[in-house]
Amino acid sequence: MLLQRIFAGILLLACAGLALMAWPYQASFSYEPVGPRAFPLLMLGLMSLALIYMLFRPQPTKHTEEEPALDRDTLIKIGVCVVLLLVFAGTFEPLGFILSSMLIGIPMARLYGGRWLPSVVIVSLMAIGLYLLFDKVMDVPLPLGLLDVLEN
Amino acid sequence: MDTFGYLGQGFGVALSPYNLVTALCGTLIGTVVGLLPGLGPINGVALLIPIAFALGLPPESALILLAAVYLGCEYGGRISSILLNIPGEASTVMTTLDGYPMARKGLAGVALSLSAWSSFIGAFIATCGMVLFAPLLAKWAIAFGPAEYFVLMVFAIVCLGGMAGDKPLKTFVAALIGLFLSAVGIDANSGVYRFTGDNIHLTDGIQFVVLVLGLFSISEILLLLEKTHRGQEAVKATGRMMFNFKEASSVFVVNIRCGLLGFIMGVLPGAGATLASAVAYMTEKRIAGASGKFGQGDMRGLAAPETAIGASACGALVPMLTLGVPGSGTTAVMIGALSLYNITPGPLLFQQQPDIVWGLIASLFIANTMLVILNIPMIRIFTRILAVPNWALVPVIAIITAIGVYAVHATTFDLFLMVGIGIFGYILRKLDFPLSPVLLGFILGGLMEQNLRRALSISNGELQILWSSPITFGVWVLTALMLLFPLVRIYRKRALQRRAVADV
Repeated sequence: MLLQRIFAGILLLACAGLALMAWPYQASFSYEPVGPRAFPLLMLGLMSLALIYMLFRPQPTKHTEEEPALDRDTLIKIGVCVVLLLVFAGTFEPLGFILSSMLIGIPMARLYGGRWLPSVVIVSLMAIGLYLLFDKVMDVPLPLGLLDVLEN
Repeated sequence: MDTFGYLGQGFGVALSPYNLVTALCGTLIGTVVGLLPGLGPINGVALLIPIAFALGLPPESALILLAAVYLGCEYGGRISSILLNIPGEASTVMTTLDGYPMARKGLAGVALSLSAWSSFIGAFIATCGMVLFAPLLAKWAIAFGPAEYFVLMVFAIVCLGGMAGDKPLKTFVAALIGLFLSAVGIDANSGVYRFTGDNIHLTDGIQFVVLVLGLFSISEILLLLEKTHRGQEAVKATGRMMFNFKEASSVFVVNIRCGLLGFIMGVLPGAGATLASAVAYMTEKRIAGASGKFGQGDMRGLAAPETAIGASACGALVPMLTLGVPGSGTTAVMIGALSLYNITPGPLLFQQQPDIVWGLIASLFIANTMLVILNIPMIRIFTRILAVPNWALVPVIAIITAIGVYAVHATTFDLFLMVGIGIFGYILRKLDFPLSPVLLGFILGGLMEQNLRRALSISNGELQILWSSPITFGVWVLTALMLLFPLVRIYRKRALQRRAVADV
């Protein structure tokens, strides 16, 4: 309940901020009655109304699956996972696809309970295999990064 | 009748060897994707869009591929529900109720093949319904102007909230988030940059593949972290794999009934497979009465939701093709795919590109047949796939998701955006917000704004155009009813509770 209130509050602030951002949007010359800011403002307004209602009367949160309550361990794991994904996004081009996916794939496999050796083997094979599959067979260009040297 | 002429032409397109192979690949990929935890029809279809584009598939083949994946996913979802008692999708929750007990009784193979058969009948009924009704609807929808479209989309959004059950407010907020996100980027009419924060990567808006994969794949990856250990062992599928004639005929009436029901529910925007399977199960349970052993492995209890899911999956394609208004998350993704190919779904599609429409419909027949045939010998392989542990699966899902996102624009900005959207999606999920309305809102948002502005341009700013024609007025009335529906339900529930309290 409290979490939902906090969430609704933050989203409400975001709505207000975005509405302020949208206020100056105006076409330099207009040939239609509805400008570019009406629709986003309408949506933000409706969303704010719903969020204000939610702030005062939070909706029940049902946990359908038997998911464990979020404890410290899981939160840390989720934090680590997010960091790994961000590192992946950051190193995708400079390191190249194969190296960056190995870099984040192996710790990620460990995070989900894999043992060292199988994780290293499977992730490495997958990184190379997926590169060959997508870049060579399916024409989806992927960056080679540091491994560029091998190409020539 | 020209409908059948067109259908023949469609089969001509779909039966070309190239498209047959495409459909076969699609059904296989789809089944595997549906099987794996963390991937469902929505991400499956979204992942394939950039790939189909990169492969240079012609539009009709790409659409056939996506439709085959879509059906395959619905098929794959059932395998984990029957063997593991873990529903792969929300819609297969009902399948576990009688499917898993059947598997425990040693009828795993029969349960799988019977559900495949039920789903086939459901899809077959729905596809026939589509052949009959889609052209009529398309013909009627040609008279729709921008005002009608705008109102129709409002109706679709409200339907989502009204039908999706117990959380109308959350659904509504989720849809509004999606509608708002669609406004990011350069405004096509005036050239104003909206909400881009001077970031060049956002000028043409948020790519919908990025949104879909972030929202569904990344949030699922984070969610899987909470359940790193899998409690249940898969029930071994041994013994008789095929259902016999007696079993099939005992559920045949159920199949027909639930197929029709599922089709209608599928066509309605917002209802979708989840509601269809639940209603089908409840109805059959009531019809069977005391003679049924529902919940203990009754075959009718397995056949009913499966038929309804199959039928509603195909039925959901009707509003998408004829009106261009998607009714479910997956069809919303397919609209996005079509727009990548510069195809605008809608009534004109039936006149201008009959090859695509009828090729797609014909390929639904073919993909369904393929799935039934494939399913039976492949069950053992599929059960093997279920045994892949999460630690091996999740990094691969993460990597493939990144490839899908990167393939759209080849910028790392999109990768960062995907992670950000993923975190947001995870928070939404933890707070019990449904995610597919976000997606639906995102797809409908652009169309909605365009149609609203066009309508008001026609009327020179008079708001009256939005309700003056009989069609718009009728849809508004329906919308109002849909809005009242959850209120009435809540009121009735409270009254019941009060009475219960009074009785005590």
